[in-house]
Amino acid sequence: MKTAQAGTLESMDCVVSLTEGGAGNGMTVTLAGASAARFGKAMETRVRETLKKLGAVDVTASVQDNGALDVVLEARVEAAWRRLTGGGAA
Amino acid sequence: MARNSVGRELPGQIAGYGPVLPFNGHKARIPEGNCAGGRLKAAFNDRTDKTVKDIREAIKASGLKSGMTVSFHHHLRNGDYVVNQVIDACAEMGIRDLTIFPTALFGVHKALIPHIKSGVIRRIMGSVNGPIGQLASEGGLEVPVVLRSHGGRPRAVISGDVRIDVAFIAAPSADRYGNLSGRIGRSACGSLGYAVTDADYANCVVAVTDNLLSFPMTPVSINQTKVDFVVAVDSIGDPAGIVSGTTQVTRDPMRLLIARHAAALIESSPYFKEGVSFQTGAGGISLAVAAYVRETMKARGVKGSFGLGGITSFFVDMLNEGLFERLMDVQSFDLVAVKSIAENPNHVEISADWYANPWNAGAVVNMLDAVVLGATEVDRNFNANVNTEADGALLHGIGGHQDTAAGAKLTIITTPLLRGRIPCVVDDVYTVTTPGEVVDAIVTEFGVAINPLRQDLIDAAKEAGNVPLVAIDELVERAHRMSGPMEPVATKDRIIGVVEWRDGTVIDVVRQLDK
Repeated sequence: MKTAQAGTLESMDCVVSLTEGGAGNGMTVTLAGASAARFGKAMETRVRETLKKLGAVDVTASVQDNGALDVVLEARVEAAWRRLTGGGAA
Repeated sequence: MARNSVGRELPGQIAGYGPVLPFNGHKARIPEGNCAGGRLKAAFNDRTDKTVKDIREAIKASGLKSGMTVSFHHHLRNGDYVVNQVIDACAEMGIRDLTIFPTALFGVHKALIPHIKSGVIRRIMGSVNGPIGQLASEGGLEVPVVLRSHGGRPRAVISGDVRIDVAFIAAPSADRYGNLSGRIGRSACGSLGYAVTDADYANCVVAVTDNLLSFPMTPVSINQTKVDFVVAVDSIGDPAGIVSGTTQVTRDPMRLLIARHAAALIESSPYFKEGVSFQTGAGGISLAVAAYVRETMKARGVKGSFGLGGITSFFVDMLNEGLFERLMDVQSFDLVAVKSIAENPNHVEISADWYANPWNAGAVVNMLDAVVLGATEVDRNFNANVNTEADGALLHGIGGHQDTAAGAKLTIITTPLLRGRIPCVVDDVYTVTTPGEVVDAIVTEFGVAINPLRQDLIDAAKEAGNVPLVAIDELVERAHRMSGPMEPVATKDRIIGVVEWRDGTVIDVVRQLDK
């Protein structure tokens, strides 16, 4: 099973880990960390939409957050996805 | 239900707390009648040594029984061994249902959690930091925690709102007849200011020391007329947790920018002149503000009258440089401050009553020109929250926040606009600790919002020309744009914390987290 990671645990950053899922398993997102209590839904939506835009279908995403704003979250998801799929230097 | 003057809906009565007096403005409540008092005592020349052999013996001698109230002070901070030792002994002796009345609890006191669960401790009146705060927030205490400021606490004791059965005083030095000092000893903590009113009003006072000296010891912080028993133990605390080394000014450029804005605001105000008095916290931004103000004082040849509060090495340096004439010290934060209060007669120990109580003939906070404070969040109405975190957990005490804000002529709250993704300038704070009517300015890296009530300060800042003024609404909106909308905290109806204003009225309540 392939996995890839992007990000750090510096303040206002996050670590996004992606794991390739079996065909037909769909998308799973888990969140933990600083902002999850008050921004959980917005963060999950942003992760899902970003992955969808990148063409991801069957993938498990796990976010360890340390206060990332949406732009950072999106960038980390994209970088992890590119590492996972070998689709570019990220 | 009644609505208090900061818009909080409050029940008329809270189970385990009693009737609620709604907050109605910072100077609205004026007391009547006389002070309460402790029990009358008599002592004669047939007892000239107050030492007893151990803590259990002292507890027995004090008459402490189930259901009573015991008090502690927090000058030993996260190094304290005394609270845990005393409660462990109570548990062994079968004493239960205690109300503990500490000035504050720290991480080290998580050892009390089993005693809360087993019913040895029934109630906590005092600030709950860290693990006990989390436990309380999740509903782990039968009755609500009552939070009082450094001035509100002695007010509650002196007025009789709280009666202390036994006060346990951690004493870095004590003589055999009950004279106590924090200045010397291997667990030296400097000022014993928070313990003074407890010693004055408790029915019984037990000193716990690890430096027992022969009579008479001087100088004395709390004297023999107040102290019933003295216990010598191996150690009252871990020196590494009692005092820090030298307190550091922040090097984070964003925090330095906030500090520079706050210093510019102070220097633009009419209070920055000969005789200025000043208090800051020991946090990174606060110390940086002091560092900038210190440079300006030197450059313009301004000499201050006094520095107040929890005292750090930074203020000691300013005293030694002649930038302050006196330091008024209720809590000595670091080794340099402990040494200074022991050696320098201009570094003066004050009690919490003297420091901050609104119900005496005059506390030092009333003489304060400028104070620099922090907050977990502030709002459009300049209300500040220092008690709860973004997830709604009650994790911090009030400290001197309310008292200094109410007393100082210029009250400044410094905060980054966001901490992580969490906005710190919001529409409406989750918990009101300090009302906007006593907060004059909010200083962020994106500018300084001055309370519209203080047109005089706005004019002065404009004239100075180096204070980046911004409307509070603009800060709120900018924070909101960056973070996105926050989901509300999920809570149950049950009240787990009562936040009193310094006069004993209720300014807000904290509800149990729905987990």
